[in-house]
Amino acid sequence: MSWARFGLLASVVVLCLLVGLSAGAVPLPIGAVWAGLWSADAEASAIIRDLRSPRVVLAFLVGGSLGICGAALQAMIRNPLAEPYLLGLSSGAGLGAVIAIATRGGGAWSVPVAAFIGALCAVALVYRLSLVSGRRLDPHVLLLSGVVVGAFAGALMSAVMVLSDAPGVRNAFLWLLGGFGTASWHALGIFTVYASIPLALLLFHARALDLLALGDEPAHHLGAEVDRLRRMIYLCTALLTAASVATCGIIGFVGLVVPHAVRTVFRPLHRTLLPIVFLVGGCFLVLADVVARTIVRPLELPVGVVTALIGVPLFALLLRKTLV
Amino acid sequence: MIISGIQRRNFGRILTSIFLVAGAGGSACRSAPKTDVRISLVDDAGDTVRLAAPARRVVSLIPATTELLFALGQDSVVIGRTSYCDHPAAASAVPDLGDGIKPNIEAVIASRPDLVILYNSGQNAAVASRLRELGVAALRVNTDALSSVPRVARMLGKLTGNERAADSLAAVFDTALASATRPPADPRPRVLLLVWEQPPMTVGRGSFLNELVERAGGENLFADVPASSGVVSIEAVAARNPDLIFTTAEGPSAFATRPEWQVVPAVRGKRFLHVTGSEFNRPSPRSPMAIRELTAKLNGRRP
Repeated sequence: MSWARFGLLASVVVLCLLVGLSAGAVPLPIGAVWAGLWSADAEASAIIRDLRSPRVVLAFLVGGSLGICGAALQAMIRNPLAEPYLLGLSSGAGLGAVIAIATRGGGAWSVPVAAFIGALCAVALVYRLSLVSGRRLDPHVLLLSGVVVGAFAGALMSAVMVLSDAPGVRNAFLWLLGGFGTASWHALGIFTVYASIPLALLLFHARALDLLALGDEPAHHLGAEVDRLRRMIYLCTALLTAASVATCGIIGFVGLVVPHAVRTVFRPLHRTLLPIVFLVGGCFLVLADVVARTIVRPLELPVGVVTALIGVPLFALLLRKTLV
Repeated sequence: MIISGIQRRNFGRILTSIFLVAGAGGSACRSAPKTDVRISLVDDAGDTVRLAAPARRVVSLIPATTELLFALGQDSVVIGRTSYCDHPAAASAVPDLGDGIKPNIEAVIASRPDLVILYNSGQNAAVASRLRELGVAALRVNTDALSSVPRVARMLGKLTGNERAADSLAAVFDTALASATRPPADPRPRVLLLVWEQPPMTVGRGSFLNELVERAGGENLFADVPASSGVVSIEAVAARNPDLIFTTAEGPSAFATRPEWQVVPAVRGKRFLHVTGSEFNRPSPRSPMAIRELTAKLNGRRP
């Protein structure tokens, strides 16, 4: 990809972030956004600095991370349907969140922390199950294990919801549907800590993803340590997705379709694909969040609903164009 | 298949009864001849509820109607309740038949009721028709507004043969409500009704809490929202800058210490209005009392 294209993409990113900062429950003109960013005394500075900035940056990072997870999993499993929530993660996180609410676990962080633990438990179980068949982390077994663990956690979640008499257990669904309404610098900090290492590892192993996408045999002959790579990629995507579920619920579609959408426009190697997917995924989620918080003002829609409602028609259009 | 076996065996019997009914001509009715219907009224779902005699065994699957039946002195008539029926204390002696949201028809029928009271929700339509097929009267009512208290009280009075008690309860309620209602003060304190924390949820103008706060002389921060409840962002709350934040025992508790909430001045100033009783959960004869409590708290914390 040429530098001109990269510059174009970078300006689109800046534009999206500015739109994200100026739209919201109270629309602010760009001038007020600018004043709020740089001066603590400005009228809008509390909203811009403490609420909107962390929200927009968090949405961008989560969108980018989910996009990269999707791209990496699609290459590793060699299945275009692969996406971050396929591996039982979402149900595991949901189960954790519901248990936290049902047991009336105190503290502001009980729900996100429980969701994170639930997601990691599901990952561990899927991982263990897929090792059963000859310790190879076979893609097919991995997919199957993810589906059955997801179904099991989902059933447990329904059972807890039905049996618990805690008020608000039903609101767990709303939390799971995803949103950035309570984003803070604190949440952003925690997400960055969890996301930076797996993100760096995935970007660093971009060439390995190219090899894995060819198939096990060719990858092996070209000098890749297939088993070790696969394990590493799997654990990185799992950690990244669990962190994003814990901070903002389950946001579907970004990880599945953003990588495909990018591939319909250009077919680069993963070294170029991953950064592009990160930027496009980030922009997409920032804009989806803008729609989520403005379309039914003063209420908010779950951002996961918006990503699907906007993303699917958009993707259908792209798909049609590339096939014709 | 076991089920189809049973169905086949019963099929002959059903056929016979259909022919018998058809043979009886126009005078045949679907169920066995009953004593005359002496009590009938149209419920909130638009169905006509018919009873041959005042109900003596009532399953009440709404906390608000359990409370009303006890207020009407019908303690011995209530033979089933929901897990949420916590008022009056005597109600806890009545068998608990579940959460009332998705009634277990078998458990309800096993308690041999002659009247079952259901919330007027979409999924209870099927429950009501099933109960009627089984020969049990079902009453479906809306209990989400203060005006439902006298209206439903009169319905229950009629169905249990206590019309005079219901009339006097309704009259007393209307008077108490009128005297508890404050004329709108100037300026009215603007209250955020925060009913859930993750995600932050509030209630709009169609809600019971909205009615309570307005009658107590306050103003719901999100009174412009027509839906009874909805998710809002902290930003929307901060922009509207409430004078007070209302929470209940079952609602949010940890938000006050979270950093992102400190943008809201009422959180920084710890201007909270916390209530604990179930009189804030549902319209009931206790509502005027709840309004007085809210008024006192609003006056105590007037900005």
